[in-house]
Amino acid sequence: MIDIIKLLKENERLSAYRVSEKATSSYELFFVHKKLETVRSTDTSSTRVTVYVKHGEFLGDSTFEILQSDDEKSANGKIDAAINRAALVFNRPYELPPCGTLDETLPSNLYDFDEKTLGAEIAKAVFAADNEENCSLNAVEIFIYKEKTHVLNSNGVDKTQNNARVMIEAIPTFTDEKLSVELYEDYRFTEFNPQKLTAEIARKIKEVKDRALATKPQTPLKTNVLLRNSEIYGVLLELLMSLNYSAVYAHANPFKIGDDIQQNGDGDKLTITMKAMIAGSENSAFFDEDGSSLKDVKVIDGGIVKNYYGTYRFGQYLGVDEPSGNLRLAKLEKGSLKREELNKEPYIECVSLSGIQLDIFNDYIGGEIRLAYLCDKNTKTPITSITMSAKLSDVLKTVKLSDTEDVFVGYEGPDLMLLKDVNIL
Amino acid sequence: MQFSSFLDSRRKNCKELVNILSKSFSYVSILGSETHALAYRADKNISSVSENEGECGFVIKMHDKNAFYEYSLNDISGDLNELAAKITEKVKVDPSLVKQTVGIKDFSDEPLVKDFVRQSDFDDYSDEELLSVCKEVSKDVLSASDKVLNAIVAISPYTVSKLFITANRELSQHYSWANAFVIALYFDGKMSQARKSFGSDKLKDIIDGMRNCKDYVVDLAAHLAKASPITPGVYDVITDSSITGLIAHEAFGHGVEMDMFVKDRALAKNYIGKYVASPITNMHDGAAATHSAASFFFDDDGVLAHDTQIIKDGILVAGLSDLASANQLGTAPTGNGRRESYKRKAYSRMTNTFFEKGNDKLEDMIKSVKHGYMLFETNNGMEDPKTWQIQCTAEYGIEIVDGKLTDNYVSPVVMSGYVPDLLKSISMISDNFEVFGTGYCGKGYKEWVRVSDGGPNLKVRVKLG
Repeated sequence: MIDIIKLLKENERLSAYRVSEKATSSYELFFVHKKLETVRSTDTSSTRVTVYVKHGEFLGDSTFEILQSDDEKSANGKIDAAINRAALVFNRPYELPPCGTLDETLPSNLYDFDEKTLGAEIAKAVFAADNEENCSLNAVEIFIYKEKTHVLNSNGVDKTQNNARVMIEAIPTFTDEKLSVELYEDYRFTEFNPQKLTAEIARKIKEVKDRALATKPQTPLKTNVLLRNSEIYGVLLELLMSLNYSAVYAHANPFKIGDDIQQNGDGDKLTITMKAMIAGSENSAFFDEDGSSLKDVKVIDGGIVKNYYGTYRFGQYLGVDEPSGNLRLAKLEKGSLKREELNKEPYIECVSLSGIQLDIFNDYIGGEIRLAYLCDKNTKTPITSITMSAKLSDVLKTVKLSDTEDVFVGYEGPDLMLLKDVNIL
Repeated sequence: MQFSSFLDSRRKNCKELVNILSKSFSYVSILGSETHALAYRADKNISSVSENEGECGFVIKMHDKNAFYEYSLNDISGDLNELAAKITEKVKVDPSLVKQTVGIKDFSDEPLVKDFVRQSDFDDYSDEELLSVCKEVSKDVLSASDKVLNAIVAISPYTVSKLFITANRELSQHYSWANAFVIALYFDGKMSQARKSFGSDKLKDIIDGMRNCKDYVVDLAAHLAKASPITPGVYDVITDSSITGLIAHEAFGHGVEMDMFVKDRALAKNYIGKYVASPITNMHDGAAATHSAASFFFDDDGVLAHDTQIIKDGILVAGLSDLASANQLGTAPTGNGRRESYKRKAYSRMTNTFFEKGNDKLEDMIKSVKHGYMLFETNNGMEDPKTWQIQCTAEYGIEIVDGKLTDNYVSPVVMSGYVPDLLKSISMISDNFEVFGTGYCGKGYKEWVRVSDGGPNLKVRVKLG
């Protein structure tokens, strides 16, 4: 392998550099109807290099990849080409993240297992839930990843992070002589707990049985809608994307610091912190793609936008003293909603949507509901084939958040979110 | 641009590794892939010229009559006997799983040696020229109105080289494509965002289009700033070619990817030979079916590109398969085995997916609508192939009243419902045709590949919300 750092240091035309290396090994199992169809293994790596060139009062940058096909001559050619490209770019100058060293491994019990044993143990835990009459897991894919990320720059950043994670895609299916229905589910974790995994898939298998019983309710109707953690995460992702420094700098942020996104409504107030680490989340990290150390930042407090977040470069552009780094996790504070209070009025609890749709520009929230429960006092009826829609600003004013918490992918917070007066068609 | 010299330099090693592994496996193929992608971008405040994420590596695919095995790596070099031993060890499974395999039938490895090349005009343009175009168009859009907050302009050309080797086949292909977009961010009481996308292997065509889209994006952004939500209901709808493509792709395409048949995940499996659409409906998919973003010469299983007719006169006649699903179903693969990269598995995937054009004039179709909407521009779509429920989002719609387009814009617009109801409601099909090669498609929520879709205008009846 060529020594890219040496080549960069030898080039007098560049002002600064950043190198980001990622090595991934994986072990993957693909099952069709409980039978193994494909076994995959990967050992791959990639190297991305950014060169920075000061010219006059401006700074230009350009990024390229060092590929397996490169030798020292072609790598030098790529450095020169990138320097020439950077010279075409006239951006406001900014500093790279300052000197810092780190070599850490994110906590995970996945390192305790040999990958083939772990694959078999995960398969065993998954299929242990597959014992309900008329139900099956028609397709299961198991991905076990071990990754090493290394970022260096010419300011002295030299940071390494190791992490391990598992992603499982499982398709619980109900089939009888009349119909066949499924639910799509993926599971992501850094700590393997076979009992928890079996229980989660067993819950989904029970829910797919309910999907078989589900019918379309009388529509149109206007009612309260209860979202679970995966959809809450979807809502937050859209809201938070516009609070990133780069979106703000590009004028693509409908919400600005000081704005009350809940317009003084009487719902639970949203308080959201962008975080570096959440226990059990595969997105936890010590540093971002620039090698910038990550610092938690409260972006929304009591419904009011307080801060933005993002990369070291765009933070400087906005005049932020200590940019947060490009945080990828969100913690939403708990609310006042208790499960037992839900029954005061009818509501729909969403189990599976095609995908939550949020359009901040057009003040819209909606989605096609594949399975939900129509809950009224002590009855709970499975329903399907409906769509929900509402004005985003209206539901944010009156939103209620549960007082119980959960972790889902890049989200930690209430496991339930109640939206009021949603249109169902 | 020429075929990858790196892949060329590894042909001999690939053939030797196939020979070594063939002593232990019934079938061995190697796919080498090298992709280079660039991105030129300019907006009000910043500009950039950088490489997008490319790839360079190999995936070895094998079977032993029990299951398929794959190993992805960066290079095939050094002691190939050692490498073969490593690969064999890496793809082993725990003894508890050995007897639970699907079983693979033998399939033919038809002899073929061929090199395929499709030329582009990318070498005619320098970095400086392409970045200048982005800056010029951005400045032009910004100058159109003081209500334009920002104009983001990007051109992304990429070049693909692939090498496929088995005991009997040695194929190579080299081709290019470019995508571009112009986005206007606008404020007039509320924020709006209007986009125009371009795709071609001729940068000249893309640049001409970008230079002529200022009025379109600024006018659209102004209308979208005033757009209101649609009143949910069931409407007569005219689709533009982008929304036609969204229906072809989301409403039907995913459900005929035949790995979904193997897993009993698609209702379409039970509808081969049956009416699923109005009798005036014909639908195709294939890398060889039209010229667009997913036009290649052979797929990632080494199967030559096809033009597969999926729906003929309203009847479902065929699905789309990769090597593994075709093997399990006992059918011939259709050239739809695609990988996100050499690091990922091949699945049955769509390529260029579209409805055939019909005989109606668009103006007659609009005239035939008493009250409804014309829908424009794909935002996103999801479907459930098991129940044929869909959710497709258009960027915007324009209300039609008494056969005329009004000035009433609605946004966003979500189409949902039962796929056969939607397809059987197709009552008119226009005589124009356009395919858009600017999109990506995922399998579940991963495995992203470039696709195109489109067709003529359709008149349908569907639930909007």
